[in-house]
Amino acid sequence: MNRVRKETNSNKKIWILIFIVVSVFCLIFFAARGRYQIPLSERIVMTILAPFQGLISTVNNEIRYVTSSVWEIATVYDQNKMLKSEVEQLRALNLQSNELASENARLRTMLAYKQASTQFDLVIAAVIARDSVTWTNTIMINRGTNDGLKKDMAVITSQGLVGNVVEAFSSSAKVELILDPRSAVGTIVQRPESRVAGIVQGNKDDKMMARMVNIPRDADVVEGDQIVTSGFGGVYPKGLAVGIVDRIDNDEGGLLKYAVLKPAVDFQKLEEVAVIVNSREALPAPLVPAIPPEQTPTTEMDSVAGDAK
Amino acid sequence: MKKCFIWASCLAGLYVLQSSLLPIIAYNGVSPDILLIVVISFSLLRGSRFGFLMGFSAGLLEDLASGTFFGMNTFCKMILGYAFGLVEHKVFKENFFLPIMSMLLATSLNYFISAFLMVLLGYRFDLMQHMEHILFPLLLYNAIFAFPVHKFVYKICELVKEKR
Repeated sequence: MNRVRKETNSNKKIWILIFIVVSVFCLIFFAARGRYQIPLSERIVMTILAPFQGLISTVNNEIRYVTSSVWEIATVYDQNKMLKSEVEQLRALNLQSNELASENARLRTMLAYKQASTQFDLVIAAVIARDSVTWTNTIMINRGTNDGLKKDMAVITSQGLVGNVVEAFSSSAKVELILDPRSAVGTIVQRPESRVAGIVQGNKDDKMMARMVNIPRDADVVEGDQIVTSGFGGVYPKGLAVGIVDRIDNDEGGLLKYAVLKPAVDFQKLEEVAVIVNSREALPAPLVPAIPPEQTPTTEMDSVAGDAK
Repeated sequence: MKKCFIWASCLAGLYVLQSSLLPIIAYNGVSPDILLIVVISFSLLRGSRFGFLMGFSAGLLEDLASGTFFGMNTFCKMILGYAFGLVEHKVFKENFFLPIMSMLLATSLNYFISAFLMVLLGYRFDLMQHMEHILFPLLLYNAIFAFPVHKFVYKICELVKEKR
């Protein structure tokens, strides 16, 4: 009798386990399609963990700073020689580009060509954690809604595009890198003769490379091309560096090819990033300086109305 | 209750270490999966029921705190926790090679289960190339970390037993 009861009991347990496994399995698909979201728990977990992550990554950065400065001192002589020769080169280049800039200005006034350049309001954030899972690529940063961060804001460094904010908590936020297979960035080739558009996604085969897909077979993309954001889609402002074409492969499907990109940002050493909280098209410089210089602050306020996002 | 608290704080602490300290030694974006080692060691020491529970909670923590596909870690870790717990009575728990060998097996299984889920979710990839870039460094890292973490889990188990 006792034995029978024991057996039914363990049978019941097995069924409960199977039930849990199956429901988690279903949950993966619902969550991935965005049909189900766990309302509060994520927020609670992050609020508890983020301060500790911040603390440890500060210590971590200190250690890295010390070791890298030791290394720098050791190599400073060679570096100095290299920099000197580079300065010489850059001086020559600078002279040339000054010449070009003045020529450009002359031609522009001749054509009455107006050009809008984009201005960004940035919030600087430190990377406090990085998920170490196999298939995705996200980081945590130490700024959140308190600092004006929102979902879908672009995250950059001085080198180029990092990714976008997928979730903002009160004092931390999750950033999906452009290396994540779920991210998609509208891009174009920067070379003036080409300007081919494509979408950059994370490369599933290699975590440290991105992939520009949907390029027609006969499109003009070559190795070494600089890829920048196109501004299509509205999440990423136009003209941010994404990467350089490393090699080009044909898609299995036939009509398309894809380019494997070396990202502009060094994702191995990501310590500080900047979040674009506001980007606006600056008004083109007036051809005839009609506005006196002391009134410039008001014009800047006006241009907020023409917010690109 | 107290036991639960000890284990929960251990998991949280290890997750924080894993996410903020271990990327410093990451190779190609791959860093060791400490929580997987904890789950496997724990289930080898305490059996499949506790292993399942540990796998579930560790995976859930990881899913909630990181931005990955929700439920993927929970699913893989609880299955592996249960499976490795089944051999609890058949292994010599203080053997040096036990954690290393079981980690090699567990890492590969974890990798293939999640790869299968990725395929089901509609992401296509080149398995050979991906294995070369991700699985092999991961195996190496997990094998290196397996023994120290196993010892740690063993110590905590002893500690918790004394408390009881």
